Amino acid sequence: MKIGTIDVKISNISIGVFVFFTLLLIAASMANPGIGPHLIWMIPCLFLLLVIPIALNYMSRSQYHELAPIYEQEAKTVKVRFINENMIGKIVRIEGVVERIHFQFLNRPQYSVADRTGAISVKMFTSPDENVKVNDIVEVYGQVIRRYMVSGEPVINCVIIRKFNRQSQE
Amino acid sequence: MTDNAERMRDTRNLYLEALVPLLAFGSTILGIILYHAGILAEIQYAGIGGFLASCLLAVLAWLRPRKDIVSLTTPIYGFIFLITPIDYTGGVVLQLLYACGLTVLLIRLRSRFGAGSPGRASATELAAGPLKTYVGSMHETFTALDPQTGHSAAAVFMSFSEGDYQKAADLSHAAACHGGTPGPVVRAFGIVREHAELLEQNRPCPKTCLQFLPEDAPLTAKSPACTGDTGRECETTIDNALLLLFSAAYHAAPADRPLLIASQAFAQKLLEA
Repeated sequence: MKIGTIDVKISNISIGVFVFFTLLLIAASMANPGIGPHLIWMIPCLFLLLVIPIALNYMSRSQYHELAPIYEQEAKTVKVRFINENMIGKIVRIEGVVERIHFQFLNRPQYSVADRTGAISVKMFTSPDENVKVNDIVEVYGQVIRRYMVSGEPVINCVIIRKFNRQSQE
Repeated sequence: MTDNAERMRDTRNLYLEALVPLLAFGSTILGIILYHAGILAEIQYAGIGGFLASCLLAVLAWLRPRKDIVSLTTPIYGFIFLITPIDYTGGVVLQLLYACGLTVLLIRLRSRFGAGSPGRASATELAAGPLKTYVGSMHETFTALDPQTGHSAAAVFMSFSEGDYQKAADLSHAAACHGGTPGPVVRAFGIVREHAELLEQNRPCPKTCLQFLPEDAPLTAKSPACTGDTGRECETTIDNALLLLFSAAYHAAPADRPLLIASQAFAQKLLEA
């Protein structure tokens, strides 16, 4: 779904929650006609279960959209093995293969991206522009942060992740 | 950190871990006794031990390099059990089940997240481990090194670790030209310069890159990879060069030691890669 120039994606879990409560509401209204007068506020609430995640996704994606050119301009290409605690706060670019993906269903994907020197966790706090899959060769732009903000090993807070073909770039 | 200090830390951790089930079960048992003696008015307050045990479990989880989110959140439940009024039988069963749960989480923490917190460096020395052993073995070689060269080695290592590759290349070039620098250190500066320039320009490692001489082998931390894979050989060479500079800086530039100690995780990573 497109709002302006932003391609908004709603997570499967939000759709699942909406469907679950819709079915629950239908079943409850059939079983108990007394619910009828309450439908006037229950139905809008039901739609809010969809509208709120869409609004949040739109806001985060539009912000990432604005950040993308800044990151593309400022990022320095580094090897995964050389990312360390002294690089916290630096904007970096890495190239590698996606080894694992977690939490995609929450629209908060966490990738494990590896180059020939090592692997690193790449966290994204919104859905990516492209549908990245395991074994895809990608380039990642992001900022080096600690896994738990104040503690933990360095990870990349990703702003852009996209499929990448080195030959075509050269 | 000395072996003795490590042993003391392990013993302290073991006592703290033993305290988790002791507090959780002990508090409930003591609560039952006090309740029947008429001293404790409400059984929910016997949950104070469970709450303290969960706080201790969270602290133990926090001290580990990999954090266990489940253990970290247990105090929330401990607090809820403590403040929620409950009847006697339900309260006792809930607290005992919670104590069992904390014990299982403690076992899980030990088996999946390591037996204890890692050797942390003090502000004045390196953490015990292969890096400290390697740096220690270089003491004789680098103690007599010119402090200026030591400082340059520290600056190069720090610039490289911060991803400031152009600065690392420039500093390496300047330091290699400095008179009186021993051959292996000059070669290390040369290797770092070559790799820093390649990284700055995002170019791959060439088929032939600068190498240490065979007589430098006793000074290098890692054995050269003889796999025929030039990329792997280049990686080992740059690791050795950075570790040699780290070691030289540690011994020859005492003023830069705090910075090097703060960056030891990177050196450790290179050594273990």
